Amino acid sequence: MDPSSVNSPELERFLNQEKQKAMVNEMIGKLTSVCWDKCITGTPGSKFSSSETSCLTNCAQRYMDMSILIMKRLQQ
Amino acid sequence: MDSFSSPSSGSSPKYSAEDLMDQLKVQLAQAYAEEFLETVRGKCFEKCITKPGSSLSGSESSCISRCTERYIEATGIIGRALFNQR
Repeated sequence: MDPSSVNSPELERFLNQEKQKAMVNEMIGKLTSVCWDKCITGTPGSKFSSSETSCLTNCAQRYMDMSILIMKRLQQ
Repeated sequence: MDSFSSPSSGSSPKYSAEDLMDQLKVQLAQAYAEEFLETVRGKCFEKCITKPGSSLSGSESSCISRCTERYIEATGIIGRALFNQR
């Protein structure tokens, strides 16, 4: 939908906000999927072990590091 | 989708910006929930239903409920890892 077709700054602000939220949501969803596959190898228990928890945290942060590295590499 | 079709040009808008935003909020929430549900279904089927039998066993059911809870928890952990640190 073209925001300019509805002449409302309020709506435009809302749509931009939602766009941003959608991007964040997508990123969290994608990383959760990737890191779940990497870190949760057994059948899910009633609690995460501390190693599973730290694996998930590390996985997400290293994925971001990697993204930056790849971007830099491609820009060279 | 029909509800979003733009009013014919010239006439005053059928929907106010507020109406549109309210509708969008509901539809977005539905879309996010559906997508999440589909992901959890995929992940937990993979983990818990390793050999589909003639019916869902008790251990499969409890695996599915644990898996669902853990997946929600994992989503929170990933979100915090990305946005609360550094």
